[in-house]
Amino acid sequence: MPRHLARAFILLLIVTARAGAQAPAIDNATCLGCHTDASMALELADGTSVPLRVAEDALAGSVHAKHNCVDCHTAMAEVPHPPRTFASAREISVTLDAQCRTCHFANYAKTLDSVHQQAVARGDRTAPLCVDCHGSHGVTKPSTPRTLISTTCAKCHEGVAAQYARSVHGRDLSGGNADVPTCTDCHHAHDVAGPRKTEWELKSPEMCGRCHANPAMMQKYGLSTNVLRTYLTDFHGKTASLRSHQGTPVNGAVVARCTDCHGVHDIQKARDPQSPVIKANLLQTCRRCHAGATENFPGAWLSHYDPSLHTAPLVYGVKVAYAVIIPFMIGGLGLQILLHLWRLMANR
Amino acid sequence: MTTVKRFSGLERVEHFAVMSLFAVLALTGFPQKFYDHRWAQVLTGWLGGVDTARFFHRAAGVAFGVLLAVHVARLVFSVVKGTTALSMVPARQDFADAVQTIKYYLRLTDTPAKFDRFDYRQKFEYWGLILGSFIVVGTGLALLFPIQTALLLPGQVIPAAYVAHSQEGLMAFLVVIVWHIYNAHLSPDVFPFDTSIFTGDISVERMHHEHPLELERMVKTEGAPQITKKPAA
Repeated sequence: MPRHLARAFILLLIVTARAGAQAPAIDNATCLGCHTDASMALELADGTSVPLRVAEDALAGSVHAKHNCVDCHTAMAEVPHPPRTFASAREISVTLDAQCRTCHFANYAKTLDSVHQQAVARGDRTAPLCVDCHGSHGVTKPSTPRTLISTTCAKCHEGVAAQYARSVHGRDLSGGNADVPTCTDCHHAHDVAGPRKTEWELKSPEMCGRCHANPAMMQKYGLSTNVLRTYLTDFHGKTASLRSHQGTPVNGAVVARCTDCHGVHDIQKARDPQSPVIKANLLQTCRRCHAGATENFPGAWLSHYDPSLHTAPLVYGVKVAYAVIIPFMIGGLGLQILLHLWRLMANR
Repeated sequence: MTTVKRFSGLERVEHFAVMSLFAVLALTGFPQKFYDHRWAQVLTGWLGGVDTARFFHRAAGVAFGVLLAVHVARLVFSVVKGTTALSMVPARQDFADAVQTIKYYLRLTDTPAKFDRFDYRQKFEYWGLILGSFIVVGTGLALLFPIQTALLLPGQVIPAAYVAHSQEGLMAFLVVIVWHIYNAHLSPDVFPFDTSIFTGDISVERMHHEHPLELERMVKTEGAPQITKKPAA
């Protein structure tokens, strides 16, 4: 057995060494020698064909401008190319997709956690590959300009992209505002997680808080940064917070987070008449979870305000009363204990 | 040690139930109040998550409410029937006793106040518990049934109930930790453990020291303290 293993190892070494030796630097001119022929096409098993003509300046202006064709098309380094058959044009993309990770391994590793990659792995040929978002020969920086991000996602996610475009964030983005979140700020780019997963949902206050609890950013728009804190100290927020930190699976019904009241892709300013959280619409919003809620019910929510004499006199009164009673009570009882001990010492 | 009867079986059961339910309520309630502290998050995990903790909190809360209702009903019944001595009702003497005790502690007098069946501190704690129980049970129900609460009352009552429930619970916990634990365990008078609420018996020696007026009355009406346990031979 060890002899077999040794032979196999030596064979492997030889094959590897030959593979290395067989990668001669084929320059782009060599490729273009054939691939400028408009009549050249690859026949596919599904009866279609793909043209093999490449524009001479295909890579010009792309981030890969200084690369050679064979850097990506490594299997084509041998001329003439060994014959290959593909079931469809999509199969060519799927095969070539493995090429990107040889350089961009970190981003590939991130995609392993994504819903997109899971769909690819399931054999879903509509699921996006690297090139579907980034483009192939003309690959450019995916976030320049910033509006490109939502345009890219919109290629598949038409519905939400249209909603987003009408939202307060989407409108500002197309107006050239770089502060507002676009798709990838919440969903991430390579490790796109399923938004219906509980773990992901529990992060929504955190995600919104990245901007909405940032004083420098909120000051620009005259928005309060208390929104996150006041949410967290309330019943809904405490529940979401404890669930996300408890270390055990969550077993209760979904609790309201930012997006449940304010909306997700279609989010509007809280003062917008369309907003689900404006007073006129609030009862309807509460009823989505609290079926049977009546007129008085939305009054239970203090609209992200700390209770004050002005905003919520009853809550404020109770708060102040206990802030006075508790130290007075515990201090008084503690003092009596100390006096008791003092007297006992005197009695000895 | 000669002992006399101090608490009935029912009273001992009531104390045990309050004690156990209070422990469950504190254990499942405080992680919710202090949700952003690491210990609260870890404890919530141990309890099986906030939703499980909340289930036990609510179950214990309902049991506590039932206990309160039964206690109050029992009291009303015994007052109507005239079978209670009303020994827990605060009287003018209690204020005098409190002043006398503070004076004694401050060494302004060498005569300690002489107490009857319940001293002013015990009455204070009892009525504090009763009042506090009404607050936590009432606000707890408002929080458990917010939709029904808002049918009858302004919505703002719900966050107000939330603050009151949370703060009343904290105050009750602190009173128990500071005051009750001192008086039942740490005070040199009873250290390490005042067992009377568990056994129902109290020593004549302690009666003499802590409840002399009650002891005097016992001697007057019954000739001698009713001995529930023979002194060890």
